[in-house]
Amino acid sequence: MQPKSLLGASALALMLAAGPSLAADTINVLVEAGGESLQKSIAEQFTKDTGITVNFVVVPYAGVFDKLSAEFAAGTSNYDVATIDVIWMAKFADLAEPLDALFTDQVKGDLAPALLADSEVNGKWVGMPAWANAEILFYRTDLFADPKQQAAFKAKYGYDLAPPTTWQQFEDTAVFFTQDTNGDGKPDLYGTDVIGVNPEEWMAEVLQAGSPGVVLDDKGNVIIDNDAHLKALQFYTDIACKDHAAPDGATQVDWGAAQNMFYQGQTAMMKFWAHAYRQTPADSVVSGKVGAAPMIGGEAGIAAIPGPWYNIVPSTSQHKDAAKQFIAYAFAHNALGIEAPLGLAASNAAYASYEDKPGYEHFKPLLATLGAPATKGRPLVAQWQEIVDQAVTPMLQQALSCKADLPGLLTTAKSTIEGIL
Amino acid sequence: MSQARFATLMMAPAMLFLGVMVAYPIILLVTNSFFHLDLLKPAARAWIGLDNYLKVLSSGRLAEAAGRTLRYTMFALFFELVFGFMAALLFNAMGARSRWHRTVFALPLMVSPIVAGILWRFLLIDQVGIINYALAGLHLIPDPSAISWLGNADIVLYAVSFPDIWLTTSFVALVVFAGLQNIPRDLLEAAKIDGAGAVQRFLLVTLPLLRPVIAVVLIVRGVDAAKTFDLIWIQTEGGPNFQSEVLSMNIYQRMIRYGDVGQASATATLFLTVMLVLAVLSYRLIWGRARNV
Repeated sequence: MQPKSLLGASALALMLAAGPSLAADTINVLVEAGGESLQKSIAEQFTKDTGITVNFVVVPYAGVFDKLSAEFAAGTSNYDVATIDVIWMAKFADLAEPLDALFTDQVKGDLAPALLADSEVNGKWVGMPAWANAEILFYRTDLFADPKQQAAFKAKYGYDLAPPTTWQQFEDTAVFFTQDTNGDGKPDLYGTDVIGVNPEEWMAEVLQAGSPGVVLDDKGNVIIDNDAHLKALQFYTDIACKDHAAPDGATQVDWGAAQNMFYQGQTAMMKFWAHAYRQTPADSVVSGKVGAAPMIGGEAGIAAIPGPWYNIVPSTSQHKDAAKQFIAYAFAHNALGIEAPLGLAASNAAYASYEDKPGYEHFKPLLATLGAPATKGRPLVAQWQEIVDQAVTPMLQQALSCKADLPGLLTTAKSTIEGIL
Repeated sequence: MSQARFATLMMAPAMLFLGVMVAYPIILLVTNSFFHLDLLKPAARAWIGLDNYLKVLSSGRLAEAAGRTLRYTMFALFFELVFGFMAALLFNAMGARSRWHRTVFALPLMVSPIVAGILWRFLLIDQVGIINYALAGLHLIPDPSAISWLGNADIVLYAVSFPDIWLTTSFVALVVFAGLQNIPRDLLEAAKIDGAGAVQRFLLVTLPLLRPVIAVVLIVRGVDAAKTFDLIWIQTEGGPNFQSEVLSMNIYQRMIRYGDVGQASATATLFLTVMLVLAVLSYRLIWGRARNV
């Protein structure tokens, strides 16, 4: 069967599974700004095909959680669909309509295992992936292709300079590119950045080190003090504290700052969310010089923490059938969102349909990272945000002070998390 | 219609508004503080008496957040008062010529706190922040990463108050300037004739007469600084390692992000009570004395 007819057939199947005839002229979709652009083309097509108007209620990132919480607290909802970050799935799971009928074998087969796993909470299919992202490796193609750099790297490390795939290669490359290029005695180019505000990169390394989960295992036991967490913490902090291969001040570096440093030419490599590949500013010194590779791998291979967003139907929705129909349609026509500025999708088929097109070179690394066996979502527990705020991020920031006892920090974090749970 | 009934009728809309918008939320806040209450499941509320208060009062994290709130408020308020007074005295000395200067000086007041927070975050963050580049350019620090404004646990609480000071010094200046305009000239001239120098005139005439103005500034700006949330949140989200976490941030996180309405309400009730007591004390101490001047 041709991909197009396959898509049509799956759309039809999903729409039939979604429910009977429509009972609504309009559905309201709560979404953050980037999410609106990703689903706008899909919504327009949906309206043409079904006659149902899709009204997007656009709020800032945190507003999605705040507004939905307030609606649930009030017991009524103006929203028929909410597009939510995966970190809120467990919190809203009991208050969302089950989408079991939408998860056909074909849908399940078209999703990376980690995305599929995060769709289900306590045996209920809660949300359909709307788009998914993961951190991959960005690197400066001009530096990696420079014959002088290549020769110097080979002379120093004994192997060819290339985008790193392992921890050792990543560390070597980061140390190598930490260079004083203007001869003032201080580095003005660093190998990479180290982020202290958001713990996702460290958590990815926990999975790369072979941990069965991040912070919690599948049974809900706190495992933040296991060997893999410690190894990852040591590796993560070594880049900043031992190798000094990242700019100082890691505790205040967030994703925005990491992106800024890369675009200003201060870092040679950056682990970052894949969508950024198409967003390098035209006036950046690295414009046209950015390459993309899969996330690095540890003992367990490549691994990342996926960043998917899910469409859910609040139990308070007045138009559940139409809402489910839209969600099914959005997944079946997932590739329509790729032309939006963020350029993301969720299904393998949607990504595969673009991966060979010029300008989408990052899709293959993204698919390789999302589909890697060790890639796994954050634990689906309602207290996740509190665990991150109260235990994980403070622990990471203390570790990045470069003075702390790492096993002790993990033990303290464990007792804090057990207190929260 | 009697005069009293007419007056009551006239006040009714305002009383209704205050009842719905102020009294009801406060009563709800205090009531919720005695319950275990999940934001997403409000129907499953359970009476737990003073448990939330005991948790709050025995929490080391909250005590530290309260201490930071106090330090943040005093630091921001001190510099706003000093800079505001200096600017107001300058404008007063310039007389009518200060009209344009006052307008320009008031511009930060128009900036929203979120925008100011983002702006200052990018000014302060080392490696990419303009402030450190400027300091390094002036050879005041050896390199742009020498001061980690938002990453150093020892200074972050004071660094996040910079946008607060920047935003509201002009408010203090304008209020004090208005107060200075109301000081009778003949008093200052009489003091001058009696041989009082500029410093003496300021300390013995101007400052005492400005007490009501200072009371307003202290109460309005003190309460405002103590409940600052957006400016700090946008810069550090309370980090690193909670070192810029203040009480309002803790209340927001517990209420909205963690859904623990009961404990958040208990913290907020205590916070509100302390702020009310401080406001009344400031009012009595400063304004009360001013009446006797």
